Amino acid sequence: MIKRICQLFFAISIFFAIGFLVVISLGGNWTYPALLPATVSLDNWRVMLISDSSLWKAFLQSMLISLTVAAVTTTAAFVTSKHIAHSKYRSQLLLLSYIPYVLSPVIIAATLHFFFIYSQLSGTIVGVMLAQFFIAYPFGVIILNNFWNPRMRSIEELALTLGSSSWSTWYKVLLPISKNALLLCFFQTFLVSWFEFGLTNLIGVGSVQTLTVRVFSFINEANIFYAAIASCLLILPPMLLIWLNKRYIFNTQTLI
Amino acid sequence: MTRKIALIFYILFAAVPVVCGLFYAIFYSLGLTGILSDGLTLSHWEQTLSSSTFYKSIGYSLFIALVVMTISIVLALWITISWLQDLKKGILSYMIYLPLAFPAIVMAFFSFQLLSKSGFLSRVAHSMGVINQLQQFPDWINDAYGVGIIFSLCLLITPFFIILFSNLYHNERIPALAHLAATLGASQNQIVWRVVIPVLLKKSAFTIFLFVLFVMGTYEIPLLLGRQDPSMLSVLIIQKLQKFNLADIPQAYTMAVIYVIIIGTVVAILFYGKPQFFKNSAQ
Repeated sequence: MIKRICQLFFAISIFFAIGFLVVISLGGNWTYPALLPATVSLDNWRVMLISDSSLWKAFLQSMLISLTVAAVTTTAAFVTSKHIAHSKYRSQLLLLSYIPYVLSPVIIAATLHFFFIYSQLSGTIVGVMLAQFFIAYPFGVIILNNFWNPRMRSIEELALTLGSSSWSTWYKVLLPISKNALLLCFFQTFLVSWFEFGLTNLIGVGSVQTLTVRVFSFINEANIFYAAIASCLLILPPMLLIWLNKRYIFNTQTLI
Repeated sequence: MTRKIALIFYILFAAVPVVCGLFYAIFYSLGLTGILSDGLTLSHWEQTLSSSTFYKSIGYSLFIALVVMTISIVLALWITISWLQDLKKGILSYMIYLPLAFPAIVMAFFSFQLLSKSGFLSRVAHSMGVINQLQQFPDWINDAYGVGIIFSLCLLITPFFIILFSNLYHNERIPALAHLAATLGASQNQIVWRVVIPVLLKKSAFTIFLFVLFVMGTYEIPLLLGRQDPSMLSVLIIQKLQKFNLADIPQAYTMAVIYVIIIGTVVAILFYGKPQFFKNSAQ
């Protein structure tokens, strides 16, 4: 009985967080001590998504950056993780992948900012993508590292023994059986990029307005209703990806 | 040849930027570069090491990290062990992933709207007659103990550990070990405390260690929910870098270098002293 109550409380808490953001995004005139906003309508959404195109622009810009970073990262991590996994210095090389996380992405961005200014990449989309790549790429290698197990090596060697060329082995053998691992890597690195704020704000110097940067701006302006709309837009794609991940990858994933 | 190119590419993008940034920070902290640089000096190091702000910030970051990890791990262990079957299938197995869709900045915004003096909980307390004025509601945001920061980070981290522990539970064949312990006469409590929890903690030790460091370096949540003094280290460094006082910039880089040295030393000692600790991550 207590267990069921706890589970119910847990479920309500999760839905409460999502519902709370949606209600604030629909609200207006929320003075203390009213429990709910005095007005609840679609006006905020209409203004932000129809009259003012800046939020759409931020959403599309974030999407472009995250999709590009995820695609490039997954491709690069797929090729390099294989060689790292087969290297005799595997542990040492993998340790490098943890550096951006243990040292904090924003501190790394702070130390690198000079180089971005010097190469005129500071405040540009390409600069933000490159900075995010520095963080997402090692993460992609960590994700794909366990994929290159002895079984995969045997399959690859079998294909080569049967006369397949190196290119055919990659294209016709390794790539098809890596589909789920690649999708998982793509989703995870997309989320790393999509969630990134500190590094993006520092390298983008306010010129590259991603959704996380917009949420921060709205909070700073004490515009909680617009911050809630941007927050809703920010959690929507990850929710979709997590559902797809759980539904189609985790259930069939046996290699990772 | 392909292997060499791949490894060079990896080192070029995973390690070289960090090393370049570190050297730039070292040069800046020693007065060898930067707008106000006038030759080699140790004054920025002396200023940083003699001021209490830096030590308070490191101590505060460690305090927050340890409290968050303790709460998250205890909660995650309790939920994993008591809800094991429900986490495998049914609606809970989907719902447990939903908090992972919240970026840190959204979680910070949610916590602010929930816990601040004019937040939702304060309004509920007012409507129930628990408080009469907004000022009577406790300080949970921008407070000295980081209640808001701890709350937000626990919301973000606990679901991750629930998923990790429930996966480990099956991958490490804990049900079989528990069954064996029961056959040998262990009580239910003994099975949980002497078999299940030790195995889960031992197998996740590396991840827990990484998360302690990750929380110490977290930025968005303490930026929105923390206070100026003490502030978490990443917030302090960025604030010193972005302030109008140019004289603070070398100190910011000094702090970054010291932080990198501390973390690097801890990781190196563990890597060479206890290589087994890292083995789980490399296999």
